[in-house]
Amino acid sequence: MKARLLAAADVLRIVDLLRARGYEVIAPFRGRGRDTFFDTVTDANRDRIQLHLPNPYYPPKRYVLPHIERLLRVRQADGTFRIEPTFEETRRVLFGIRSCDVAGIWHLDRFYLGREFRDPYYERRRRNLLLVNMVCTDPELDIGEECFCPCADTGPAAREHFDLQLMDLHDGRFMAVAGSAAGEELLAEPIFRPVTAADVEKRRAILAAVRNRFKTTTSWFAATVRYVSQGKILDKTWEEIGNRCLECGGCTYVCPACTCFTVSDRQAGPDEIERVRIWDACALGGFTRMAGGHNPRRAVHDRRNRRFFRKLAHYFIQRELSVACMGCGRCAAVCHGDVGMPSVVEMIRRATAETEKIAPVAP
Amino acid sequence: MTPASDNIYLPKLAVLDRVQDEIPEVKTFYWHFEDPDEQRRFKRFRPGQFAQVSVFGAGEFPLSLPPSPTEEETFFTVRRVGTGTAALHALKPGDRFGVRGPYGNGFPMEDYYGKNLVFVAGGIGLIPLRSCIVYAMAHRQRYGRIQIFYGAKRQSELMYRADLAQWEKSADIECHLTVDRADPTWKGHVGVVASLFQQPGVEVPVDNTIAFVCGPPVMFRFVIKDLLDMGLPGHCIVSTLERYMKCGVGKCGHCCIGVAYVCTDGPVFTYEQIKKLGEDI
Repeated sequence: MKARLLAAADVLRIVDLLRARGYEVIAPFRGRGRDTFFDTVTDANRDRIQLHLPNPYYPPKRYVLPHIERLLRVRQADGTFRIEPTFEETRRVLFGIRSCDVAGIWHLDRFYLGREFRDPYYERRRRNLLLVNMVCTDPELDIGEECFCPCADTGPAAREHFDLQLMDLHDGRFMAVAGSAAGEELLAEPIFRPVTAADVEKRRAILAAVRNRFKTTTSWFAATVRYVSQGKILDKTWEEIGNRCLECGGCTYVCPACTCFTVSDRQAGPDEIERVRIWDACALGGFTRMAGGHNPRRAVHDRRNRRFFRKLAHYFIQRELSVACMGCGRCAAVCHGDVGMPSVVEMIRRATAETEKIAPVAP
Repeated sequence: MTPASDNIYLPKLAVLDRVQDEIPEVKTFYWHFEDPDEQRRFKRFRPGQFAQVSVFGAGEFPLSLPPSPTEEETFFTVRRVGTGTAALHALKPGDRFGVRGPYGNGFPMEDYYGKNLVFVAGGIGLIPLRSCIVYAMAHRQRYGRIQIFYGAKRQSELMYRADLAQWEKSADIECHLTVDRADPTWKGHVGVVASLFQQPGVEVPVDNTIAFVCGPPVMFRFVIKDLLDMGLPGHCIVSTLERYMKCGVGKCGHCCIGVAYVCTDGPVFTYEQIKKLGEDI
């Protein structure tokens, strides 16, 4: 992959260049306190873009899979209907997206564009989207208490699936790496300078160091994937996990890899309805309830079981060739019952280790 | 880029031709696509597949396909249970609604050539099985014995009356009916569906047999137990599962059980597979 250097003062000029090329640029900003969010860059807020900040809880997933998205507009006239699909094809850049979220979008690509059926709405948003990835290098600002991307092998620096990757060398310079033709084309701009072997070595050293600056959250997937795939998890363990779930759906809404949605028709005018899809969450009681009231997943632990089974079962990892957990730590941060992914992995490992305990060898 | 016409979520307009009462709260809706090409394409469905039906404004929901592809007309048979089905029941002949599909795997009827077919249905469980029965009758010489065991709560709730009368008369098929509670006019057997297996003169073939089971969860459990006890292996018992579905194409996530998406990997599963999915029927 092609790499170039640029001055820290020039980083936001990438945003200007992209905006000049007609892209809507989405970048991270700071609200009050811990609050951070992605928003559209305008002339007014351009200087307030944050390069180092805690990753926003509301994931950038919404630019490929909006929280609420209109699929169809249906107009009624003369006893019949005119059905018109409403595609959104804005050319957009996600600037400053973290490596975990890059992996999340890759996972969504695999899910929505892979296999037999391709999602045309997702496809159009995605085809018009560039990802400018920011490597997490600041242990205080970038790496949160709950971050565990090294366990999910998605960060702190994404290895692929971005268009351009930026990394702060913490000496007034940034290194830019192109991950696609679109990214390489950007590197031709005069703000970029060639890199030396010493710069590449510096990048490597920073990455090696930052991997040791992660906080206390860990999530050792491998054994858990095996336990889940082999059906070794006791009902008791799922129940314990379920008992701590408050059924708020928060984990799903902040997850960069969750894909479920529901579809609803709503009145948009006197003779017009629109069909929208809305993020849905398997934690919610009505998720599997059928007309007539029969619900095959009645107990809360059945539903919790579902979320983690879907993310950890080997079958699905093979199916998407991607684990549906990016290690972003958002679920751990928002869960009121402390049953985010790291805790669940921990609970499963502990319970299974207990049942599989080998009797101590006599002296 | 996928062309806009290949939009997996785009329903095609259908016209309601006529409505026929089946049993209380259940009606059959005969319809056709406005576009004859779409109608021809759709008519290649397999027994056991399903369609996503839109009543605009009320929403979209999955419905199984009771007609056999060997029949001329396309129709749905629907019980009024919720918002969508109530809106469908309110439609009048000539009204437009949306259909997309067919979806799902369907029953592999070709794999069953040369085998005996045993159909066990309870209540509106006959809807998806009707397709297979009519299909098998249309290709009668390709199958061994064909038996139907069908039960409903009471006589007035036995559906597809005309078909039942024809099957009962036919020498090609053994048709056994039962009701849970007999009305004064009922001359037939009284009891749950599984009790038909013990009737004098009834002999369910076990070797080289496929059993199709569809009905309410409680009936399903008892019938499965009886069939297994008779010696029918789990992989020779097939059923079609019902789940809340929003897309029909493996994206919305609602129908995913165990490692299977009911919409794309199912809705037809063998009992062997159902057991492994690990969720209620």
